[in-house]
Amino acid sequence: MNNAAASAGPPENTGSMLSRIKKYGPGYLFLVPAVVLFVLFLWLPIVKGILFSFENVDFVKGNSFVGLDNYRTVFQDDTIGESIKNTLYYMFLCLVIGFWVPILFAVAISEIRRFQGVFRVMAYLPNVIPIVVLYGLWRWIYDPVGPINAALQWLGLDPVMFMTDPRWSMASLVIMETWQSFGSAMLIYLAAVLSIPKDWYEAAEIDGAGVWARIRHITLPSIKGLIGLLLIMQLIATSQGYQSQLAMLDGGPVNATMTYGLKIVKYAFTSQNYGVASAMGVLMFIVLGVLAVIQFRLSNREDG
Amino acid sequence: MKLAERGILSSHDYHRHSTRALIAVMTLAIAAMSFSMLYPIAVTFLNSFKSVVDVNSFPPKLLPREWIWSNFREGWNFLKLPIFMRNSFYIFAGSLVVTVLAVGGAAFALSKLNLPYRKAIFFFFLMTLFIPPSTYIVPNFVNLKDLGLMNSYFAFWLPAGASAFNMLLLKSFFDGINNEIFEASRIDGASNWYGFTRIALPLALPIISTLAIFLFSSAWNDWFWPSLVMHGDNHYPVSTAIYKQVIAARGLKLNVKFAILTMVAIPPMIIFLVFQRFIMRGLHLGGVKG
Repeated sequence: MNNAAASAGPPENTGSMLSRIKKYGPGYLFLVPAVVLFVLFLWLPIVKGILFSFENVDFVKGNSFVGLDNYRTVFQDDTIGESIKNTLYYMFLCLVIGFWVPILFAVAISEIRRFQGVFRVMAYLPNVIPIVVLYGLWRWIYDPVGPINAALQWLGLDPVMFMTDPRWSMASLVIMETWQSFGSAMLIYLAAVLSIPKDWYEAAEIDGAGVWARIRHITLPSIKGLIGLLLIMQLIATSQGYQSQLAMLDGGPVNATMTYGLKIVKYAFTSQNYGVASAMGVLMFIVLGVLAVIQFRLSNREDG
Repeated sequence: MKLAERGILSSHDYHRHSTRALIAVMTLAIAAMSFSMLYPIAVTFLNSFKSVVDVNSFPPKLLPREWIWSNFREGWNFLKLPIFMRNSFYIFAGSLVVTVLAVGGAAFALSKLNLPYRKAIFFFFLMTLFIPPSTYIVPNFVNLKDLGLMNSYFAFWLPAGASAFNMLLLKSFFDGINNEIFEASRIDGASNWYGFTRIALPLALPIISTLAIFLFSSAWNDWFWPSLVMHGDNHYPVSTAIYKQVIAARGLKLNVKFAILTMVAIPPMIIFLVFQRFIMRGLHLGGVKG
């Protein structure tokens, strides 16, 4: 990554201390604002989070050390287990309902010869609309007397309570989020699919490979690395999900959409128990750290 | 047949019976996608023109029976949209300035100034990418409180400068600029500051535009974090205000609600359609790096 910078300029280890300061000092000044901001707004909260997890955070009387009490509270809370189960269910639904969609449409749209740009823009459009607008919109779409139930009635099916039926509520959120966000993943896949050399397909066709065989043996293997990377990124993102659960259903009905992330938010901003919330954050960090390392290795491989 | 004109399918395939079914399925899928992308958006717009009876009728009709424009006036008067939009714009503008100066300056120094230990410093910045944001959302909030930044725009402006992702984008752009331009300016006696503000930044305008669009969309879209940091009616950015006063509101007429949502959705859509090029590029740059 530093090749361009490293190949030019003189070797670095020449001259005395003073001349080095004179030479590089002004250069380091460029780094000062960013270093200060990173320390204040990223590293400090991260360190504080670990400290808070052993403390009772009180804005009035000051913090006091409580040892492992916060962690004990977390492990004794019966609803935590349920929230982990909900989070895993949410991650699972996001894979089953959402993960394959952008791949399918990337392959399909790559075959469109004319007006491909129109379809790209269309797929990305929901990403652009403010998420709060979508919350309002999808509440209406999922309404017991909304358009989907009208269509179900027209087909002679029973109405579905998308929001209030605990069996449906999480899936409804996942469908909404897939609709909203598949476009950005689709564009990333599309760029990869379009960069596959066309003569590979030509050669395969001459050898008698059908369309399906070409997709299976050329297209998909070519974007395999990208699929793995986006899979890990999706797992990391969905394991932290809480915003649409909070905005659409506030964790209900009967805690069916109470995810682990939402539980952290509830502990902190409803119960004002910042210590326990920090402890939950630390526990989550330990689990997600493993995923992050995998992502790092995959993305390094992608870069070649 | 020319090679450039084929994809997975060749023109030959279009005439083959066995592949026709597959092509039909693909076409159907794309048609279904187009419909499901456009229908909800169209519904938002069209519902905002309906009468109260019309918007609540079952089964819902797509087009309004009569076009009622006054819904928009009613929505405009329902909450202080201009103030909320201005607040979002403040957040965006300040974040952009901080990003360009702090993140851009650091990316420039790491990329072009040949500083000793630059790899270690870059690693210090990059490490933060691996820490999932929701694990420190709570201490982050307490930290802002400790720093006395509650209810202040600095709570958005300053943290904007702590983005490893944006630094990655800017640095990889600077890495692509030829070193010789900077060498030449240095020989002519120009300072690093000159090199940064007069050479690097103007050259980086395309990537800065991409970043600006990302920053604008997060300033316009974020609702949860501002709802924690800001309080008092006059300080909310637009999405937080919509969430608190429109989505969570009881008793607001549905057609007026849709009129408000339409008015809020239009500015980012216009920006997207105008600046599409920059957004698509940002996705390509950002996508693989994560």
